[in-house]
Amino acid sequence: MALTRDALIQYLEDKARVDLSGVDDEAELFSSGLVDSFAMVDLLVFLEKHTGTKMGPEDITLENLDSVSRILAFAAEQTQ
Amino acid sequence: MSAAGIVVLGTPRSGTTLLRRLLDAHPNIACPPETYVLSGAARFLHEETFAQGLQIGALFGLGYAGFDEAEVLGRLRRFAFGFFEEHAAKAGKGRWAEKTAFDAFHVDAIRRLCSGHVKFVCLHRHGLDVAASLAELVDKTGGFVEELHRYVTRYPQPLEAYAHAWVDTAGAIEELAQSEGGEALSIRYEDLARDPEAVLRDVLTFVGEPWDEGIVERGLGEASAVGFGDWKTYARAKVDTKSVARWKSLPRATQTMLAAVCNPTLERLGYEPVATEDEVDEDARRRYELGLLLGRLKKEE
Repeated sequence: MALTRDALIQYLEDKARVDLSGVDDEAELFSSGLVDSFAMVDLLVFLEKHTGTKMGPEDITLENLDSVSRILAFAAEQTQ
Repeated sequence: MSAAGIVVLGTPRSGTTLLRRLLDAHPNIACPPETYVLSGAARFLHEETFAQGLQIGALFGLGYAGFDEAEVLGRLRRFAFGFFEEHAAKAGKGRWAEKTAFDAFHVDAIRRLCSGHVKFVCLHRHGLDVAASLAELVDKTGGFVEELHRYVTRYPQPLEAYAHAWVDTAGAIEELAQSEGGEALSIRYEDLARDPEAVLRDVLTFVGEPWDEGIVERGLGEASAVGFGDWKTYARAKVDTKSVARWKSLPRATQTMLAAVCNPTLERLGYEPVATEDEVDEDARRRYELGLLLGRLKKEE
């Protein structure tokens, strides 16, 4: 199932309780500390369940996961 | 007869220091930093069942010496309240209020001592936020007060221990509020953080004091009273809701574990129960694996 921007934003705000006000889709989430390690693990679980795929070590990179736009692009690749 | 004293009860980390500061800003109410007087009096009333069912404690011991329960409670009450009355008089105020957060662990004895002589203001906060905040307190202070240590020795996971402490204390406080009827008012930290003026108006109406313009600003601006209490609140000159629903940033598995402990009490107090996810062993293992992989990413950063 494709991950929409709204679903991701809602997840980050409601479940990970990330304050995204004033943050654009390119802003660094993990490397900036906006998303902590606990929330990040939950996000990975969420992504796996949403895309129906299992992530490998090569998938867990800042290139794939460090911003809203990167997460959406990564999730789209996984569901293709 | 002077107006009744006011006793604030709330589980530690429920915003009791914030409420204390606001009450103390009223021109007719003196509410000092935490005195521990009522929990001290509660310890005086401690009783236990000894061998073969014999009850021991000051009330029973003094009973054998010819002092009945009403006499002992009256003396203890005058002793305890005397400190508050004297403090209020020194501050030039007409009545006293008392709040010591750890009184929440001695509610039954405090009620025995104070019922019929005070107004109770009962402050509740979401149990998962209390548990998370207690964890932060213990982390910062590096130790446990005795009341909390009892829970930590019983439950191996600290957050679970704090959640049980919240269930017991918030439950006891709500029971007191229910049974005291018109002599108790229940309020919520979340409402106090969202709209301190509205909640304080309710509290002042309940205790029979008029609204005083500027009380919220004065209460938050006053930082000179040195004493025990939540140090974090002194750094704040305004109330905000940043500390509301912080529990949502706890890991999902932790939320689920705490929900099992807290949900019945949350619902009893009118909060929404925390949604839980049934996590099977496989999910927990996967979460662990992903945590390890993420740790590798952090090292490479």
